[in-house]
Amino acid sequence: MVNSKNQGFIVWFKQKWTNGPLFSTAIALIIMIIVQTLVLGFDYDSFGEWFHSWLNNWINILRNNAGTGIVALGMTFVIMTGGIDLAVGSTLVATGAFSMILLNTGSQGLLGGIGLTGAPAIIVTILLVLLLGYLLGSLIGLSITKGKVPPFIATLGAMMIFRSVTQHFMQGYNTTIPMEFLQVASFKMGNYMLMPIIYWAVIAYILYYVSKRTTFGRQIIAVGSNEKAAKLSGVNVEKVKLRVYMLMGVLVSIASIIQVSRIGSMDFSNAGRGMEMDAIAAAVVGGTSMSGGRGLILGTVYGMLIIAVMNNLLNLFGVPPFLREAFKGLIVIAAVLLQKKEKTS
Amino acid sequence: MIINMENITKSFGSNEVLKQVTLTIKGGDICALLGENGAGKSTLMNILGGVHQMDSGTISIDGKHVEFNQPKQSQEVGIAFIHQELNLINDLPIYENMFLGRELLTKRGRLDLEKMYGETEKMFQKMKIDLDPNTMVRDLDSSYKQIVEICRAMMTNASIIIMDEPTTSLTDQETERVFDMMRTLRDHNVGIIFISHKLNEVIEVCNRYVVLRDGHLVADGNVCEITIPDLARLMVGHEVRSELLRRNLYLGDELLRVEGLTSYPFFKDINLSIQAGEIVGVTGLLGDGRSELFQSIFGAIRIISGQMFLNEKVVNIKSPTQALEEGIAYLPRNRKENAIIKDMDIFENASIVTWPLFSRRGLINRKKHEETFAEQRNTLKLKMGNLTDNISSLSGGNQQKVVLAKWLAANPKLLILDNPTQGVDVGAKEDIYDIIHQLAEQNIAVVVLSSEAQEIMRVCDRTLVMYHGVIQGELTGEKMNEHNIMTLATGGQLT
Repeated sequence: MVNSKNQGFIVWFKQKWTNGPLFSTAIALIIMIIVQTLVLGFDYDSFGEWFHSWLNNWINILRNNAGTGIVALGMTFVIMTGGIDLAVGSTLVATGAFSMILLNTGSQGLLGGIGLTGAPAIIVTILLVLLLGYLLGSLIGLSITKGKVPPFIATLGAMMIFRSVTQHFMQGYNTTIPMEFLQVASFKMGNYMLMPIIYWAVIAYILYYVSKRTTFGRQIIAVGSNEKAAKLSGVNVEKVKLRVYMLMGVLVSIASIIQVSRIGSMDFSNAGRGMEMDAIAAAVVGGTSMSGGRGLILGTVYGMLIIAVMNNLLNLFGVPPFLREAFKGLIVIAAVLLQKKEKTS
Repeated sequence: MIINMENITKSFGSNEVLKQVTLTIKGGDICALLGENGAGKSTLMNILGGVHQMDSGTISIDGKHVEFNQPKQSQEVGIAFIHQELNLINDLPIYENMFLGRELLTKRGRLDLEKMYGETEKMFQKMKIDLDPNTMVRDLDSSYKQIVEICRAMMTNASIIIMDEPTTSLTDQETERVFDMMRTLRDHNVGIIFISHKLNEVIEVCNRYVVLRDGHLVADGNVCEITIPDLARLMVGHEVRSELLRRNLYLGDELLRVEGLTSYPFFKDINLSIQAGEIVGVTGLLGDGRSELFQSIFGAIRIISGQMFLNEKVVNIKSPTQALEEGIAYLPRNRKENAIIKDMDIFENASIVTWPLFSRRGLINRKKHEETFAEQRNTLKLKMGNLTDNISSLSGGNQQKVVLAKWLAANPKLLILDNPTQGVDVGAKEDIYDIIHQLAEQNIAVVVLSSEAQEIMRVCDRTLVMYHGVIQGELTGEKMNEHNIMTLATGGQLT
């Protein structure tokens, strides 16, 4: 009896493993969380204290990865259409710099200059920064759709342009951000700074819904899987692609606002460097196919968490910093090895 | 060489595709392997080609037991498999493709390009093919790719060649050339397994036939002892109609008129008019431009000059999205490349066209789609499992019905069907013909593009024959016969 029950489980597991695209990712994540919990030293006697430090650790992990996590969601859509966006790090810096110019409390501040301060200034800033992200995204999107530049090239170019221009114009620009703006990310609920996590969760939910329930979301899959068939089915392929890059720009500017309001400043030469690779890694670990067509928003959230927990574990184990990237690389490759393979028949 | 396949069984998941199939192939045979889509032909051949492994059964060659775990093992014993999906590298020239995987090297280990080029040229001369071996495969149309594939198989000195529907994309003239090659090979004692849906071709070129139905081998015999209707009956398992479909014509007003439509180099100065409720056939040989003409009416190809009128009003259609809004639907040729989205399930493939039409504020109206689709499932006689099964789980005929369903959901006024029965089995073909007639009765104008004169004659009220981008002639009633169609399609004039 026990044996047959066991076999039932194995069959069920195998079927889930091969057919459920998220199953292997979820299992990997659960295993890592268990390991992490064990490493943190589960202590039954002082459960309350243990739980407190465990929770703190988790909030830290989530908050630190919220920005990249949001960008990875957009990256999932971009990759699903068969494209790629290498310019996210540079867009982050450009929109971040823009927010600082707007908000600067010194004499050079744009909004301060026209007498706008306080809450209205913050709202206007956020809107304008989102608009800039949208415009930069459109620029990339238009060069890909109208200009027929391959996404890799278009965004590689944009990556260089956006950062270089930002660095040039922001030379010697000293900014002080008003304290109120810091509340956007650092507002405390109880004793916890949860805002970035909430933004991430809300955006993930919205995009999950978009991908499953809206015309746009399903058209992304159609375009990425078979562009020709999508076009001949009346799907406006160019519009879908353009909107995906616009969305990406907006998401990056949100990540940028979170970053600026958390730290209060931005290092224009280093901020967001490697962000595109982290975002791609999260999407790929979560089961997004680099050739387009297949991808899951929820998978990308899992993927981001796997990478984040991994980083946290390496930290806890005291692995030397230079070696950590190697582990990240291993995780990415291992994840793709484990995933359901495309049938070759 | 004699290949014996005995009691071959194969399942994919719970789906048993082959049930105890026994088949013998001899050198010098041209053996037709027949059956509807999903009958197991491709699977059986994939097992022989080493692509799939059988669950049980034995294969022996000249009495010796063999086992194929990889395509390479099968190739080594002299079995060449020309797949339906062509396995050529687009970015290499023809002659390098001919030696792919077994390149000729000079003594110093470099690629011997001159020799490979020369060998290819020799082979082309022998086969009387007018192609420059230096041409990039990317620049060849699909019929020439097919020919290159066949030549490549011949270059490996194979003693058994499997051809999986080699003639689907070929013109009659090219088909004849391939047949000549096959006959030459037969005389050299090469065995050929020929998978095809075109029964007249089978009668013409094969000397043996075997028929698979639902994974069983149901017939095995000599072609000279059987007729086309009998073969069709064996494949489907019941009687097949072959009479012309005619009906009472109630034509509505003029729906579409084009004047002087030109798109270099596909077609020039096209004038035509189509009435509501009419079934218009358009045919011609390869390079006639009929696909491109109707793709440009659908907005997928740019028009250089000319005017288009829908219901007497001038329209300027620039994209398929716009064409859809105007009530024009286009079912493309080459289903796999142009119509099926393999990462989506049946339901999504069937509803992709109408997502924007039925949606409210961008949200997909699943309920409305399901209702529409449930209706069409009946009219189209669609055989399928769950709505959420992947589209690839369906047979070719049923896939095509799904593609048809997605367009019908949009309630088109003008339905353009480009090669609607390509890769579709006999039963589904009849269903599609029936649907075309039902649609015409609902006052929809249907345009059927096809290279099969038989099909055009059976289904259409009126036929336009194209030749090199111009409409060479128009045929109706009695005049719509194979001889007249061929005369016009080859550039001749009717007397």
